[in-house]
Amino acid sequence: MGSSITTWENVSAYFTFADNPFALVLFAIGTAAIIVGLIISIIRHENAAFEKIK
Amino acid sequence: MENSPTLESLQAALDAQQAVFEMHQAMNVEVFYWWCTAIMLMIHAGFLAYEMGASRSKNALAAGIKNILAIALIIPAFYLFGWWIYNAFPTGFVPIEAAAALPWSTSMGPDVQDMGTGIFWAAFALFGATTGSILSGAVIERIRVSAFLILTIFLGGVVWIMAGAWGWHPDGWLLTKFGYHDVGASGVVHAVAGFFTLGVLMNLGARKGKFINGVPQIISPHSLPMTLIGLMMIIFGFFGFLGGCIIFNGGETGWTTIYGTPTNLSAFAFNTLMGFAGGIIGCYIATRDPFWTMSGGLVGIISVAAGLDIYSPSLAFIIAVCTGLVAVQFAKFLEKRGIDDAVGAVSVHGFTGVVAVVLVGVFAGGTPNAEGMPAISFVGQFVGAIVMGLMGFVPGYGLSFLLKKANSLRVPEACEDIGIDEVELLAKPYPEGRVPAMADLTTSDVPNKLANSET
Repeated sequence: MGSSITTWENVSAYFTFADNPFALVLFAIGTAAIIVGLIISIIRHENAAFEKIK
Repeated sequence: MENSPTLESLQAALDAQQAVFEMHQAMNVEVFYWWCTAIMLMIHAGFLAYEMGASRSKNALAAGIKNILAIALIIPAFYLFGWWIYNAFPTGFVPIEAAAALPWSTSMGPDVQDMGTGIFWAAFALFGATTGSILSGAVIERIRVSAFLILTIFLGGVVWIMAGAWGWHPDGWLLTKFGYHDVGASGVVHAVAGFFTLGVLMNLGARKGKFINGVPQIISPHSLPMTLIGLMMIIFGFFGFLGGCIIFNGGETGWTTIYGTPTNLSAFAFNTLMGFAGGIIGCYIATRDPFWTMSGGLVGIISVAAGLDIYSPSLAFIIAVCTGLVAVQFAKFLEKRGIDDAVGAVSVHGFTGVVAVVLVGVFAGGTPNAEGMPAISFVGQFVGAIVMGLMGFVPGYGLSFLLKKANSLRVPEACEDIGIDEVELLAKPYPEGRVPAMADLTTSDVPNKLANSET
């Protein structure tokens, strides 16, 4: 589905979706969203944990 | 006569041999930086052991988890924007064209024709992770994990690499205008991270019980042996770090510094080891304290790293001894002013990094740079040291100030009392009993030189 090549002749960038800039942007946004989401989840976890010891 | 080689067949054979040689040379470059990157991971294993050991047992796992998560977040952050910052900002705050370094570029992934980008990106990503981890030890036992992660992503993914673009890039303005020389990253990594840490500590405040009526108290590590082993692991990892600072060129050029001047691993070997030894001796003389003695190895290497390629080894040793002596005094100076740096990171990395950059100007002024660049000078190094210090301090202070204002920087006092492990991680580092070295908050018969107990 994501292969960017059909032959190994004269290949340069050959990774999945290398020929699909839109998909690469989407994956980058997804990566950023996971980082931000993790930090938000840690903040929520901390707030809940600190609430219990009040 | 039919089988005699012709000129054309000999040329074809020669071309084939040349192609094989060039492919193997390119593979050697990859292999070299692959192992440098792997060895650099030992720095993180060391930070993990040393910061967990430096914490009281009630906070040991929290110290560890933030270390592990820091690496896991800085690596993708460096993929998303760190590499682009390095390539886009050598001339200052205005970006130049560097689309190939953006995360959606075809250069940023597996490519048969490109045997350089990935391996250099990996080495730089680990430099970033190291930079972000320098902050980690200083803030143990009271910072929120979330706040630390925000700060360390900013430090390891943005701040240091901006400084790296200025002072560690072939077109960096500190090099092109001032002849800045910092081959082993004393400034762009250590000074930046150390002064970023100082800015954070000023907003974070001291651990509860560290100062009573303004007098520094002893908060002993729960496992001093673990901290010593961790520090030695960091030293091991430094050989990967410093190996990653040298450029393995193809063709006839051989090794060069990141500034394009000739050097080799032999030069790095002389001065890395002499600096390591000198730093240990300097800090031992100054403190007789095991933690500081082992930290002295770091001080020594960092103190000579900026001029690793050009110092005479005996001079490197003397610089390291003297910097070790003074770095301890700087740590005491900070502590007397209410800064609780749990592992001495500001002194070991920030102070030493700045001193290292300036000393290159003192001892190696006049050394030529690559053609077209100004020679190394005291003024150039002094300007570079100030830039690196400010490049760390201003963002560190600014971002931690915002987090403090949002009440998101520090754990609540009750959490500090109970311990972050129990409150936030729901885990105990030693569930089957008390550890022998369980810290006592209030008393200790063992003097701690850093805590000014002799005064």
